[in-house]
Amino acid sequence: MWIERKALAAEIPAAAELDTRELCEMLAALGFPVDGVAVREGTEVLEVDITANRGDAMSHRGLAREIAAKLGRPLPPIPVPTADGGVPSVAVRLESPACPLYCTAILELEEGPTPREVQSFLLALEAAPKRLPAVDASNELLHRYGHPTHAFDADRIQGAVSIRWARASEVLVTLDGVTRTLAAKDLVIADEAGPIALAGVMGGEGTKVTESTRRVLLESAWFDPKTVRATARRHSLHTDASHRFGRGADPAMAAVARDLLVDRLRAWCGARLQSAWTVGSLPGPAVAVQLTEALLHRIAGEPLPLGESAEVLRRLGCAVEAEPHALSVTPPTWRHDLSIPEDLAEEVLRLRGFEYLPSNLPPLEGPPEPLSQAYLQRQRLSRRLAHLGFHQTVTYGFISPDMDAAHAGSGNAAEGRTLANPLGQDYSVLRGSLLPSLQVVAEQNLRQGAREIRLFELAPTYVSAPTGPVEGFTLGVVWGGTLGGEDYLSKPRAVREADLAGIARELGWTHLPEVRALAEGLFGFELPVAGLPQDVERIIPAFRPFSRFPAVERDLSLLVDLAQSYEVLATAMQAVLPPEALQDLRCVDVYRSANLPVGQQGWLMRMRFQAERTLVGDEVDGWVSAALAVAESLGAKLRA
Amino acid sequence: MDHLLPPEIVEAGRAFPVALAACGDMDALLRLKGTFVGRDGSHVARLMDLLKTAPKEQKRELGAAINGFKQEWEEGLKARQTELEAARKHLNALADSWDPALPPPVPMRGALHPLNRLMDRLVEVFRPLGFHVEEGPEVETEDHNFDGLNIPEDHPAKASSDTFYLAAHPKLLLRTHTSPVQVRTLLRVAPELAKRGGIRFLAPGRVYRKDEIDPTHSPMFHQVEGMLVGHDIGMQHLKGTLEYALRALFGPHTEIRLRPSYFPFVEPGCEVDVSCPLCGARGCRVCKGSGWVEILGAGLIHPNVLTHAGIDPAQWSGWAFGMGVERMAMMLSQTPDLRLFFENDQRFLKAMGGLD
Repeated sequence: MWIERKALAAEIPAAAELDTRELCEMLAALGFPVDGVAVREGTEVLEVDITANRGDAMSHRGLAREIAAKLGRPLPPIPVPTADGGVPSVAVRLESPACPLYCTAILELEEGPTPREVQSFLLALEAAPKRLPAVDASNELLHRYGHPTHAFDADRIQGAVSIRWARASEVLVTLDGVTRTLAAKDLVIADEAGPIALAGVMGGEGTKVTESTRRVLLESAWFDPKTVRATARRHSLHTDASHRFGRGADPAMAAVARDLLVDRLRAWCGARLQSAWTVGSLPGPAVAVQLTEALLHRIAGEPLPLGESAEVLRRLGCAVEAEPHALSVTPPTWRHDLSIPEDLAEEVLRLRGFEYLPSNLPPLEGPPEPLSQAYLQRQRLSRRLAHLGFHQTVTYGFISPDMDAAHAGSGNAAEGRTLANPLGQDYSVLRGSLLPSLQVVAEQNLRQGAREIRLFELAPTYVSAPTGPVEGFTLGVVWGGTLGGEDYLSKPRAVREADLAGIARELGWTHLPEVRALAEGLFGFELPVAGLPQDVERIIPAFRPFSRFPAVERDLSLLVDLAQSYEVLATAMQAVLPPEALQDLRCVDVYRSANLPVGQQGWLMRMRFQAERTLVGDEVDGWVSAALAVAESLGAKLRA
Repeated sequence: MDHLLPPEIVEAGRAFPVALAACGDMDALLRLKGTFVGRDGSHVARLMDLLKTAPKEQKRELGAAINGFKQEWEEGLKARQTELEAARKHLNALADSWDPALPPPVPMRGALHPLNRLMDRLVEVFRPLGFHVEEGPEVETEDHNFDGLNIPEDHPAKASSDTFYLAAHPKLLLRTHTSPVQVRTLLRVAPELAKRGGIRFLAPGRVYRKDEIDPTHSPMFHQVEGMLVGHDIGMQHLKGTLEYALRALFGPHTEIRLRPSYFPFVEPGCEVDVSCPLCGARGCRVCKGSGWVEILGAGLIHPNVLTHAGIDPAQWSGWAFGMGVERMAMMLSQTPDLRLFFENDQRFLKAMGGLD
């Protein structure tokens, strides 16, 4: 909200003594940070940030009240002559509890412009003057005193006016020219022909004040904040008026604002008051809230004298009665945000200044809790992968349905994971797999000239279920490009599926991972994090003895079918070797060449034996023969 | 005397030093050796044959001349051989040695994402104060995301223009902050709160809001939430904890400033500024000359939040804070565009995230 410094000083002269920086700091310390300072119309204006709970501060008067309270200076009263009187010429009926109070007046207008200084004031606040005194005066009062008012062309109103709920499918063309179909929960001002304004939000086009308007009907009312908020949201119509009524206007200001409006129109263009009257009454007084010494002490972190606190609350407009060890506080009509003792404690501290709060560490009341195994597991996994050369990515949790379909897997319908209101089709499905996102990132990196790309992401993926998507942390890994060849010792080669399988094994995944070829030379896999081993509770595992006798290594060079299953062969060989002596059995080289018989390949199988004694050549020979025999039984032959 | 010797051998003898010097390797040297002093057909062999047939009176003189040649050649060959052997040895030694300045093979180094690293750092800072980590799902209920946090029924954040909802499950949404973890955790620990002596935790995680993607907005971002519940907890404890934590993060000379503000789930509520870590509060572009940077929102837990979780606000009190991780990361790193964090260029990750 824009605040003009001169207008602020007109409300609280003490503000004129502060320089801009001091004023900004004071406002920030009161909870109203200044986002910017500008000069417009030759005057300094501040852009002040007002939180949603402080509708009362959304005006020059509102902030002046805060500054006066902070400085302990009196706030001069608003100069206004009372305008009540005359015979009401239009019947006004209040038909909904959402409008308990409606102050109005009818004036006959004469020709006359909006004063220059008022036009400048509005321009400085970026509120375009309409050069129609009734409209500009209403606007000026809103910014100066915070109470929204409205002027109708009285000659266009047909019959009695009622403030009532709209009837379903009633239609109103608002001042912005939009035809709006109303809902039964919209509060409207209506004449006998239908709605003429959305209460507290915007007037209607049909009764708006124009240059030819001769008589105006003024409105200065109080509308229920919830009702106004709902209507503004329902029609996406957020106006200066709806912001203020929606956050709670001051009902006591309704009559004052009406009188000010009458006064301005008389002064500016010689308008003649026909009648001014009020329908309804002020809503009941606010409920008193009890602030105890103990609660104030607890929140402030130190004992604060109740007397001083009472004084602070009075400066804010509260009625305060002292009780033993407590204050009974009735908030002023403009404060709708003071309903519990904590609110009052905040006011006491706010006015004193948060900079005076003591600073202490809270005492530990119980033993600290360890970090969860699941959290630690992910921390370790991330670090392990980073040390293995992989880069952690963070990508959006939603992707396009097409990308999702490629990897989500059957039985995981996208419907259950689709957003009702996505940013767009490309961001519409909660992903069933991390691979599509990783593939996009990898390909983007390769296009940018990366020679090798190693990425991982640890994030939830989603599985559709009847009660909603079930999410589980998933690890996705992709690897692509050219490996090695960047120094004089390593030879360059393309990344292969086996490289990824090696990573999965390194992370403790005991099964064969499903490595996907995502693109030419780009591979990936993903695993449920819950399926990876967690660290055991023990700090150091139980001791297991190991042999200190020499190990014996034997190679068997086998010729096998190209279709031979490694797992079948290795399992069969392992089965005939003595488990107490066999340390390792693995294929250490694959040889494929046109020199070999058609359909055959060479596998170099290495066996490593070690036992709790020195192994004898003959016995090892026997084991190797047995392994060869079983390999031969599966069709393998010893390579010459 | 030379007239007694064959002129071609005399000539060869004259050319010997040049031929010797021209021998670049042992093979050439052996060939030269064969030509001059070899057993058969060499110059020396022919001279010896000449000596055998020479007249008696010439033998002494001729013998001396031949010996002179032989000695000169043999010594020359031997010396050259030593030279060549030394050179070979030197080369062999060079061939076995490698200039240590040649680029060595370096293991590929990966990196943690800068946002995760920053969150990890925050957890690390709060660990010594007894905070652990609580987590919750990203798909949340309206109840946990809004209602349990004292957010009014008609709050604008609930609108579908601000919050992502699921099409098939109208009551489910993508959490708009990490605060629902507060609600879940309080509900869980409420029955045992007295036994465990309150609770204190951090909740780092990803959150979603319906913002278009641009240099300062992202529909997904990260928050770290902190919460503490105990007896007689007041604003001084919030201030004390944040002072400790922000000094641990930004350095011991860091100052903090609390300003009143409003969030529905706390009362009193405040924004917390930290003295600008980039300029030491002297005033710079980041703090817009003010010396202060807004870093988080905080406050004392609203009694309604405790009551909703089944915790008696007359007995228990606490504080909570929430901070935006991207905002802090951008501020600290001077990254000009939020989208860089989600683009995941390997160069960016390596430079910004790194590894501990």
